[in-house]
Amino acid sequence: MASATEIKAASPTLVAKVTHYLHDGYRDRSAGVIEEPPALGDARWTDQLILSGWYMAEHGHSPEFREHRTGASGGGFDRLRFKFERDALFAADAAGAEAESARAAVDMSLVLNRRDTARKLTIKVPWYGGGMSFGSVSENVMVSRARAAKAWGTLTCTGEGGYPAGLNPYADHVITQVATGLFGVREETIQAAPIVEFKYAQGAKPGLGGHLLGDKSTTSVAQIRESVPWVSLFSPFPFHSVYSVEDHKKHIDWARTINPDALISVKVSTPTDVDMVAVGSYYAGAHIIHLDGSYGGTGAAPEIAKKNIAMPIEYAIPRVHKHLEKEGIRDQVTLIASGGIRTAFDVAKSIALGADGCVLGTSELVAMGCTRCSNCERGRGCPFGLTTTDPELQEWVQPDWGAMRLGNMYAAFDRQLREICRRCDLPSIAALRGRTDLLRFVAEGE
Amino acid sequence: MTLAPPRPDVGRARTTGPDSEPLAEPNASAPRPPAPPPEHYQRYHIDTRHMPDRADLPTRFRVEVNRFELAKLLFKEIREYWGDWDVVLSRPCVYGVFSGPVGGFAPRPHLCVGCLRCTIQHPEAVTIRRNPQWQAWGDEYLKPAMVETLQQEAALGAVPVKGQGYRGRMGGPGWDGIWTDMSEIVRPTRDGIHGRETISTVVDLGAKPMYLRFDAAGMPAGETPAVSQVQLPMVLDMPPVHAMTPTIAAIWAATAHDLQTLALLPLRVMREEGLSGSQLVPVVGPGLGDPAGLAELARAPRMVEITDAALADEVRAAAPAAQVALRLPFAPGWRDALLGAIAQGLRVIHLTADYHGRGDGAFIRDLVIEAHTLLVEQGLRDQVTLIGGGGVVMAEHVPKAIICGLDAVSLDTPLLLALQFQPDGSMESRETARFVAPPGLEGDTDWGVQRLKNLCCAWRDQLLEILGAMGIREVRRLRGELGRAMFQEDLQREAFGGIDGFGD
Repeated sequence: MASATEIKAASPTLVAKVTHYLHDGYRDRSAGVIEEPPALGDARWTDQLILSGWYMAEHGHSPEFREHRTGASGGGFDRLRFKFERDALFAADAAGAEAESARAAVDMSLVLNRRDTARKLTIKVPWYGGGMSFGSVSENVMVSRARAAKAWGTLTCTGEGGYPAGLNPYADHVITQVATGLFGVREETIQAAPIVEFKYAQGAKPGLGGHLLGDKSTTSVAQIRESVPWVSLFSPFPFHSVYSVEDHKKHIDWARTINPDALISVKVSTPTDVDMVAVGSYYAGAHIIHLDGSYGGTGAAPEIAKKNIAMPIEYAIPRVHKHLEKEGIRDQVTLIASGGIRTAFDVAKSIALGADGCVLGTSELVAMGCTRCSNCERGRGCPFGLTTTDPELQEWVQPDWGAMRLGNMYAAFDRQLREICRRCDLPSIAALRGRTDLLRFVAEGE
Repeated sequence: MTLAPPRPDVGRARTTGPDSEPLAEPNASAPRPPAPPPEHYQRYHIDTRHMPDRADLPTRFRVEVNRFELAKLLFKEIREYWGDWDVVLSRPCVYGVFSGPVGGFAPRPHLCVGCLRCTIQHPEAVTIRRNPQWQAWGDEYLKPAMVETLQQEAALGAVPVKGQGYRGRMGGPGWDGIWTDMSEIVRPTRDGIHGRETISTVVDLGAKPMYLRFDAAGMPAGETPAVSQVQLPMVLDMPPVHAMTPTIAAIWAATAHDLQTLALLPLRVMREEGLSGSQLVPVVGPGLGDPAGLAELARAPRMVEITDAALADEVRAAAPAAQVALRLPFAPGWRDALLGAIAQGLRVIHLTADYHGRGDGAFIRDLVIEAHTLLVEQGLRDQVTLIGGGGVVMAEHVPKAIICGLDAVSLDTPLLLALQFQPDGSMESRETARFVAPPGLEGDTDWGVQRLKNLCCAWRDQLLEILGAMGIREVRRLRGELGRAMFQEDLQREAFGGIDGFGD
């Protein structure tokens, strides 16, 4: 088996050369200075969405000269519009001091704890970063995300791969994930976590568990995971200690014994009975129900699972929202949606369908240069330095640059969401929850 | 870790009823019963082996290099980084597209995975385009990405795994409008790492008795039900007329034998090629073979397929030990024909749509649901085996077809594409579809057999993924489980039903 120890770290000159070229490329391609790459994009993430992501990460606002709201998947979010969206493209920067003042007045905060237990926790924007493990992405990427989360008063998540030391300065903004392989789960990281996230399933591979290929299990990755380097690691499905809601409650009790102050998030996929799963999780003590829809991202998953298992998030949100309302517990739990949230408009539509907030994953990687080529699992990993722990490739993303790109994207999202609320005459993003009356269903291609 | 061998004596003692003797504690000093000899241990397994492509297929991307700009770039970098040769020689492709003897001056597009780093880094020198030849693969039903997936599965025998999320359209018509269920906490069994290890893909073909009768001596009485088993819920359907050659017939026969499933071949072809055996199902009917010819097969078949129910008696007379299956196209009148065949005593029905899944004005998905529901309503479903085919071209279609009500599927065009037959026009039916055979296939059955075994292994493994996610431990229990499927029209109505514009 090839050992990545044979691959030298990149020299500073090489890093400077490659990052210079890449940064220029992201800037010029997204600004339309040079031709759009003809092979970029797919139905879910069109070339326009990817280039918009790069543009927002460069400039901190959305490009009004290209479609940055929806993709071309022909369903779900791409068939929903806000009623005010009659213009061909959306300008988040409606002119005038009055508009600016109205945008500034919108309350964008998201309350994460609506119960009487654990700490009170409110984040400043209605989204946080999803779990990406050390191993599936580099430490540089994790630190970039953590810095951006801290700057914006929100959170990011470890994924199931332990807690690299680079995250320590940002501990108040880092969710510790506990998943079925328990890789890197330690008492001290749970004690430090504002939120402990139990990952029961992942939208991209529901019911299949996780798999880190041997080539990506470098010495440093293996050390944190307490495993053998260069050996594939499986997170079996499901939790072998959980066969009922009662077992699930024991899990939550265990985490709360270690850290009574931590919020508990339960991340589940979207099966037919997702509404009942949500209710069960609430009664087991969860503060956050995190639904991960079937079009979510992953470092590696069988193609058959991504396309065919479990329902897309657009359908799961209203089902769970209405069921929680029917059960009379909607205001005691925070409902978070992920798995296919690409744009600020997807965030807003998720909230209008019934979620409280969203988790971002792929859109953050796109901001840092991802082209969605789907080769994260192959060989040395991502050629753009994102989903890799290769000593050379990981240098293409430096935390300062990564955090700056994410911060800019967050700024663009924040501005668009504020403008959506302003146009809908809503005082806060929380007031958008469940407001399907503000949406319209459109014909494909409209 | 060494596991103790199973102890059948203890197991038997613990199965005694409440009135039996108290359970004896196992005697630690007693000799252990002998473990069954290892050579008797069998477990279903498909041997996969990398089987490289035979045909020269189009690459997914075209790599266009502007050599003048590349030369300029090299000159500039040599000047700028003189002495730092690792910097000068570093290439923007980690997959080796520019790592040939003359680097980017002769790129290797077959290695391009479309990451686009080269064109982001050096837009003036490199452009990556989708290859129109690749985009023209397949036909209007079997899209290029499907063909590519089939090729990879046939070459490697592995489940296609990739990074990032789903890239395609959301739902869609036909099979794409179904999502399968999963369970957050249930898995097929508590044994093994994932619980997938012991999932069974065996299916029964034939008449299943609704109850058993016993004689005074406690022995089963009456006729022994004619049920046979195959290890996969997939059988190999007759090859298209214009692709049928002696080599193809031999590949079908050997593949079915190795996979322990069935291959359907025209009786006429079997006789001409001297083929027979329990894995081969001769198809009898006009142009396919006469029932009288069954007697000339060297080994009696366990199943014979007829294209007309009126041939049943003649076939039973010629091959009395064989189960008789009816091939029933989804054409107008199929419902009456289905019920009529069952009334006539036929217990295996092979429902067929065309290669695009069309029949009687609907798609095979909805036709299978209708057939299954019809038999459930008539109280007949458990007495009949439904095999179905036409439009089943990807691994995911197999579990979806079974959820809709089939016991097993029959495979058609994917097998040809796995063998790298190039479609010549639209592949719409067995009679009309035309193909160009890959070079050198004739006479080389080993390559073809391995490609088909690889394909079926990849599909079986993907079936296991679906079953594992659902917490189902045998494929027989998946049949007709419509409650474990989610249909796009239902989900969309439920989620968006109250939104302005929906249903307009």
